[in-house]
Amino acid sequence: MKKRILALLMAGALALGLTACGGGDTSTDADTTADSSSDTAATTGIAADKLKVGLILVGEAADAYNKNHIDGMREACQKNGMDYDSQVVVKANITEDSTCADAINELLDAGCNAIFADSFGHEQYMEEAAPDHPDVQFCHATGYQGATDTLDNTHNYFAKIFEARYLAGIAAGLKTETNKLGYVAAKPFAEVISGYTAFYLGAKSVNPDVTMLVNYTNEWSDATKEATNAQALIDQGCDVISQHSDTSAPATTAQSNGVFAVGYNDDMISVAPDAALVSARVNWGAYYEYALKCLIDGEAIDQDWCGSYAEGACYLSPFNDAIIADGTKEAIEKAAAGLADGSVQVFAGPLHGKDADGNELNLAEGEYYKENEKGSSPTFTYIVDGVTVLS
Amino acid sequence: MNNLINFLTAGILAAAPLLFGVLGETLTEKSGNMNLGVEGMMFMGGIAGILGPYYYEKAGGTNPYVALIIAMVCALVCAGVGALVFSVLTITLRANQNVTGLALTMFGTGFGNYFGEAVGNADPSGFLSVSTAVKGIFNNPIFPDSMVNIPYIGKLLFSHNFMVYLAILLAILLAWFLGRTRAGLSLRAVGESPATADAAGINVTKYKYLATCIGGAMTGLGGLYLVMNAASGVGGAWVYNCIDGYGWLAVALVIFAVWSPKRALWCSLIFGGLACMRYYYPISFIPASIYDIVPYIVTAIVLVAVSLKHSRANQPPESLGLSYFREER
Repeated sequence: MKKRILALLMAGALALGLTACGGGDTSTDADTTADSSSDTAATTGIAADKLKVGLILVGEAADAYNKNHIDGMREACQKNGMDYDSQVVVKANITEDSTCADAINELLDAGCNAIFADSFGHEQYMEEAAPDHPDVQFCHATGYQGATDTLDNTHNYFAKIFEARYLAGIAAGLKTETNKLGYVAAKPFAEVISGYTAFYLGAKSVNPDVTMLVNYTNEWSDATKEATNAQALIDQGCDVISQHSDTSAPATTAQSNGVFAVGYNDDMISVAPDAALVSARVNWGAYYEYALKCLIDGEAIDQDWCGSYAEGACYLSPFNDAIIADGTKEAIEKAAAGLADGSVQVFAGPLHGKDADGNELNLAEGEYYKENEKGSSPTFTYIVDGVTVLS
Repeated sequence: MNNLINFLTAGILAAAPLLFGVLGETLTEKSGNMNLGVEGMMFMGGIAGILGPYYYEKAGGTNPYVALIIAMVCALVCAGVGALVFSVLTITLRANQNVTGLALTMFGTGFGNYFGEAVGNADPSGFLSVSTAVKGIFNNPIFPDSMVNIPYIGKLLFSHNFMVYLAILLAILLAWFLGRTRAGLSLRAVGESPATADAAGINVTKYKYLATCIGGAMTGLGGLYLVMNAASGVGGAWVYNCIDGYGWLAVALVIFAVWSPKRALWCSLIFGGLACMRYYYPISFIPASIYDIVPYIVTAIVLVAVSLKHSRANQPPESLGLSYFREER
């Protein structure tokens, strides 16, 4: 009996202690919020050596997509006179769930002045944290809410990757012999659809007979599914495979089947030397350099930033000279010049397509769809004629 | 017709890693040990299986056959060591098998991803990958082109890489071992009733250790396959988390195949087929996620059916998951 009473007492004490702690926490939270809101009035720059930024990565630091962010941040730190190792806190493998909220809290606790997150699904957690921390800048890649909400400290950034994909599509269009391209797509989102449509239109600009099959894996990064997906496309006669997914599996599958691949995010020549033609890549460093400079100079970061191919925000990795078709480089250079001066538009008419809701796009000759008109996040969701979505 | 052949071929390629896993786990469970660490051992086999040839080639080795042998040995040994740790903990120290197995899964996953990331990052190309020649060895058909090119059946039967045939051979061997040999009978006795087996003079500890370690090593080959195969895996490189649930699928398959290596052959083919079906026969109104959960639903149904049926031959080993205390007889 004595033991039981003791146990009850202990449990009671524990419960009391917990509530006490909880109460304490909320009050400190309220304090910090009050403090920080008074701070925002004075927006001055932060000295380069005092600046601390957090970087949230959706996958491991080594996979292509995330590594590009790290490399970009490294480069940006160097250009702004910051020390990457001590001033950037990297949170890798942050999935698009409450893990992200925890990561944001840890970064806030670490005293970060700005938090960058690199995956679409991170945005809602950024949006949740932003109102309580108006002195911290929340910058989110590939999202759309930062630009459209009423908060000043949420930002979006992206590159006009569809331009690079359009150019990479030219390499594929010239290379294909079956006139059938295959595309390993991640998820049926505007970012992905805009990307593969641009890739297809690039191929079509040099090869009017080309068609394209698209298969979704429904994962951003799943090597096995991407391989199975690519194999199915190859089995259905596709001889150039491209991808909007994070691993090198589509390229290695193409290599094993003796067909060709156009990569994304990473130069895949070393992992698929006889298959990888070229890759479309985003140079995140361009934005990070700009954003860090804004923080140091005390200037407002753009609510919505979208760099173009001409500005170097996206680019093509080195060509695999041994296997690209003759004239590829010249054709791409010509198109790139056209993109830069506006004489070439990626989503140009005549173009007909339909989106998932049944809305039709019908562009006549001379008209074009202006991507990124409303923000850095792509909006093109039409499946155009010539593209077949299998599953 | 071509699409069907392509689909079946892709299904066979996707089934092979599962078959390795399910055979290894069947052997393990026949000894009464429930090793839930299949996923972890696959990770260990996979990472060791690519690190071996990677370092061999870094050291200047060029013979793909030597690389192949190194890969096989590394995968077998590394996964076997994982199983050995499990054995020591559960057989000698009599730790809870489920908890130990889960710990092994967590350990193996971290082990694989850690070394994969560290070595990949350190490589100038940013990839932990092997040469085209080694990739070819793991992916090219072993039969001559004249056989591969036979219409229809050529692709279906003769176009596969050697690991597919190895998995099928292992299944047949295991079925023969468990059903037709004295040692197999003893092993089953150990799994059913270790006390009885002990009284009959069978060395229970030895059987449990051997079955668990060899079984674990076999699952490691499944990991190696996933890392090396291009149609249903990474294709000769390491990608973060590339095993991704295949180990658990294998554990489910053991139940689906009701602990029979022969049945494992076609059961893994069904699972493998389901994994790639939607890319070949897409049904527009069925969301992709449904395809992904079908194997698990089927497993649950089989579990229910098996326990309702009470057929004596189709039951899990009687003492599955229980540690054997000799003193408690």
